[in-house]
Amino acid sequence: MYAAAAVLALLGLVDAIYLTIEHVTGQSVRCTIVAGCSEVLSSSYAVVAGIPLAMIGAAAYFSVFSLATLAAFGYRVAGTLLTPLIVAMFLVSLWLIYLQAFVIRAFCQFCLLSAAITLLLFVVVLMARRIKSV
Amino acid sequence: MAAISSAHWRRLWPRQSETFMKRLLPFIIILAVLGVALCSAWYLTRSIPASTTVVGSQSAPSPSSGSQPRGSQPPATLPVANAGAPGAEPAHVLGPATAPARLEEFGDFECPPCGAFHPILEEMHKEFGDRLQITFREFPLVPAHQHALAAASAAEAAGMQGKFWEMHDLLYERQKIWKTEFDVRPIFEGYAKEIGIDVERYKRDVSSDAVALRIQKDGSRGHSMGVKGTPTVFLNGREVPFESLPPEQLRVIIQREIESKK
Repeated sequence: MYAAAAVLALLGLVDAIYLTIEHVTGQSVRCTIVAGCSEVLSSSYAVVAGIPLAMIGAAAYFSVFSLATLAAFGYRVAGTLLTPLIVAMFLVSLWLIYLQAFVIRAFCQFCLLSAAITLLLFVVVLMARRIKSV
Repeated sequence: MAAISSAHWRRLWPRQSETFMKRLLPFIIILAVLGVALCSAWYLTRSIPASTTVVGSQSAPSPSSGSQPRGSQPPATLPVANAGAPGAEPAHVLGPATAPARLEEFGDFECPPCGAFHPILEEMHKEFGDRLQITFREFPLVPAHQHALAAASAAEAAGMQGKFWEMHDLLYERQKIWKTEFDVRPIFEGYAKEIGIDVERYKRDVSSDAVALRIQKDGSRGHSMGVKGTPTVFLNGREVPFESLPPEQLRVIIQREIESKK
């Protein structure tokens, strides 16, 4: 289970790095025929205290990856820390989906991918806890 | 005693080494992933500006380098674009045809970056005056933007009565108001009234073949020139990279073009 969480976190990390680069370089800010506008990445919600949200996401995914890897190798403390971190990420993802749907009124594909990965991580952690408690 | 102890340690060593490696392995993996992530992020952010700058142009040289970090310096030269198919004629133009810097914008009234670019272009127009000619080409991103075509039609219909730029300005300035509305027709008719054109004629023109044809021709020109998004800006036939559109960079590029024509 922890190995699965590590793999998912790795995917999330790649996605978040991509989004960070898009944000920092401004590549996605132009509107295009295929993907419309990247209104999400160019919105005021994409930055928290001057730091791109995608960068914070990358740090979070890296933390999940590290903790899941350590937990997979038997470090119990890492497994304990993993659950609240993923729950927090899941709640933040729900908030970001709400912002995209009702405030910005635009979706960003790679932001949705990140939310999907966090949801899967949340499910994996729930399953891991269930297996542990049985 | 010493010999026994030595043999004992020799027997123990491989197992201890194995355990030690097993305990160390996750940290090695984590550090490796961190290293790869940081290196790839660094490489990708560095490699992007190089791909968006110079593509063999004969434009005037500049002290600025294409390898500068993005956002800080305009590119040394602009990529060459083909002449493209003809757009709608007469085009919507500000400034004289003899201007040394001729800027052509492909825009979509519903596109937020185009809305953000509008005051920048106004600033350039005021600053450079007769040395800069600005042409606007319709490039509504359909179906990405639900009202883009209606807005382009409204501007073109106003243009039929000689008030294209007045409608163009209103559409951009009030983009946030109309873009979320369900039916924009009455809003645009209100704008037509506001800029002082014959609203009944506007209503006929907005759905006319002539207006549709103008938008189609501008779109064909854009496609033939490789336009894929908005705003796309050409200066004397060369595409200005999107990241060079902030005023401080665009100003340098326009100035350079003007000086190269002296």
